[in-house]
Amino acid sequence: MPDIFVTENKAVEEKTKSSVKPTETGKNFGEKGTSNFLGSYCYYPRNVHFSVQEPEEKIVLLLRKHPITNVGWILTALVMAVAPIVLAKFPLLTFLPARFQLVGILVWYLLVVAYSFEKFLDWFFSVYIITDERVIDVDFVNLIYREITDASIDKIQDVTVKMGGVVRSIFNYGDILIQTAGEVPEIEFEAAPRPDSVSKILRSLIVEEEKEKIEGRVR
Amino acid sequence: MEIPLIGISIWTITKVFFLVAIAIYVVFAFVMVKQVNLMTDTLEVDFETSIRIISYLHLIFSVVVFVVALILL
Repeated sequence: MPDIFVTENKAVEEKTKSSVKPTETGKNFGEKGTSNFLGSYCYYPRNVHFSVQEPEEKIVLLLRKHPITNVGWILTALVMAVAPIVLAKFPLLTFLPARFQLVGILVWYLLVVAYSFEKFLDWFFSVYIITDERVIDVDFVNLIYREITDASIDKIQDVTVKMGGVVRSIFNYGDILIQTAGEVPEIEFEAAPRPDSVSKILRSLIVEEEKEKIEGRVR
Repeated sequence: MEIPLIGISIWTITKVFFLVAIAIYVVFAFVMVKQVNLMTDTLEVDFETSIRIISYLHLIFSVVVFVVALILL
């Protein structure tokens, strides 16, 4: 229920709380200067660069899909890896000579490695980057097709956080829709961890960008 | 076991099928190496060397399987 009667002290206290800029402390958004290269939520990541980065551009946030989204392919890979051992108990391939069976198993394990490696690469390199100037979505759709979408922070019009379902609520991840006034009308961060923090960071960057515009600063 | 009229052993056909499949796989492994290079050029995170080594090992492994298939079958 909203407070109807707020004492003067409480009002002052709340005002002080809201005036603290979380971006300056970094405490509310995670550890600043993260160097965990396998992390899915890296606030001010160290030693990270991307191909279309400008010299003075700083990465504020590097996001990947939540690690829990990898469980599906990891389980599939495990089942694929165990399958030849289990199938050896049943006489399904006995009609094949032993040498064909051996080569067949080698080819099968090659496929398992390729499948796992592809899935890992897809997760690892499909990233969402928020810099002090832009929002960038790097997508690797298939083997050799890459798509990099970016939008300036000052073009962002609306940020929507979508979170639903049991798994997403438990592991705190969701989709973030960023509507822009640029050529790309919408950028979507799929299954991003801590969507509320991401949305807060985006809002504070938008405010900062507006301040820069008013003050006439370039950066 | 031979296929009537042609006189070719069914195992010879199976061997050719295996070899063509593995050769296609070697091409795929090579494309994967290229893809990894493209990815590591796009995003640098101090982990590129390990990923590149894995992709090259995968390519070498697929070539080894092709050679093994060529000798064994």
